[in-house]
Amino acid sequence: MEYFRQMGALIWKDVVVELRTRERIAAMGAFTILVGILFNYAIDPTVVEPQAIASGLIWMTIIFGGMLGLGRTFHLEEEEGAFQGILLSPIPRDALYLGKVVANFILLTAVTGLVFGVFALFFGLEFGGHPLALTGVVLLGILGFVAIGTLFSGISARTSMGDTLLPILVFPVLLPMVIYGVTATSSLFQGLPVSEVDGNIRMLGAFAVVALAAGAGLFRFVVEE
Amino acid sequence: MSTKIRWSGAVLGVLGLALVLVVHWQVFFWVSTERTMGVVQRIFYIHVPSAWVAFMAFGIVAICSAVYLWLKDERLDMAAVAAAEGGMLFTAIVLLTGPIWARVAWGTWWTWEPRLTLTLLLFFIYLGYFLVRSSTENPERGKRFAAVVGIVGALDIPLIHVSVQFFRSQHPEPVVINPEGPSLQGDMLTTLFTGLAAFTVLFFAFFLFRYGLEHMERALVHRQLAGDRAPLPEGATS
Repeated sequence: MEYFRQMGALIWKDVVVELRTRERIAAMGAFTILVGILFNYAIDPTVVEPQAIASGLIWMTIIFGGMLGLGRTFHLEEEEGAFQGILLSPIPRDALYLGKVVANFILLTAVTGLVFGVFALFFGLEFGGHPLALTGVVLLGILGFVAIGTLFSGISARTSMGDTLLPILVFPVLLPMVIYGVTATSSLFQGLPVSEVDGNIRMLGAFAVVALAAGAGLFRFVVEE
Repeated sequence: MSTKIRWSGAVLGVLGLALVLVVHWQVFFWVSTERTMGVVQRIFYIHVPSAWVAFMAFGIVAICSAVYLWLKDERLDMAAVAAAEGGMLFTAIVLLTGPIWARVAWGTWWTWEPRLTLTLLLFFIYLGYFLVRSSTENPERGKRFAAVVGIVGALDIPLIHVSVQFFRSQHPEPVVINPEGPSLQGDMLTTLFTGLAAFTVLFFAFFLFRYGLEHMERALVHRQLAGDRAPLPEGATS
């Protein structure tokens, strides 16, 4: 119980800081809208039907936009030694990691909603008739992404390469999430029955569980001094 | 200790090089030509053993990394570095020989074939492993970060494997380990096993040399920190 209370306090802190500064959400939101504009001119709609490549476009926007925010997961704490303060408090390291994951997950869920809205508006996309299954696929996908990204941003933030290192670490291990997420989203956009994406949902779940377990187990070696 | 390692490395190196010569002799002059693919199939005897060594090396990296985080024994970290460097080399060999073969057999240099994709991602996981290590000011931190990257990479490899299989496969089916026993004919199997032996022995020779080098490097750094008063590592000259 104490464990969840501590985690909750960390999540609350991150959410409140984000709501008051609106630093990351503003950057990520602006990024997704600008990407939508660029995509509109990069992809000739008379040659490629936007609906046909919608799931790929949406996932890549979520991932690139997400990297922007994930890279700054520990940015605030790195300033003025705030992270030392958190490490000195009697909170288990895995609760610290999971708290950061949940805070990032909330942030990325908001951004993802924006991506869907913006893309629907700009490209007139149809999302198929299974909103529940689609939400499940998207949330599981970003949970796995956030779990990996939070662990690795703890690493990249404390190297001299900083945020440039993050995609090099995250992208190679992210492939399963991209494959299952994009194919499932694409099937649902085409209006295929939910049973078609059962396997994808299970694999997205497996990816998220492995990523969360690895992160929770290994995070203490990342923050240890 | 480092002298012993270097001698073992030298012995394995000579043996490995001899086996590499043997396998090349077999590939060029001895083994029979495969009927459908023709001469280009002979690259298989270099390609497959390299892939085997690359993945074995990554296994060593992951195990050494995990135990290093647990026991914090310097030697495990040195072993992980040595294996990772050898692994990266053999991954590069796989990625060079694969497309040469694919150009002739499939008519394209690159195709999103599952095992090729997996090997390419493996290369980038190794790259991240070294970048993390070299971009930290505090070497102890770099070792821990690299170990975390190595472990996450190893945990993810089965998932990558399943997902790229799911995407589509047109790679030749396994010809050695399949339920009906090896489908490869006798002399081809012999050549393949010579290749496996050659590259495995060569990998461990590289591994020992690299391990010895890492050992001496760290001893020298240690000595510098101690203000030149500590003894030189065995086998090093000032």
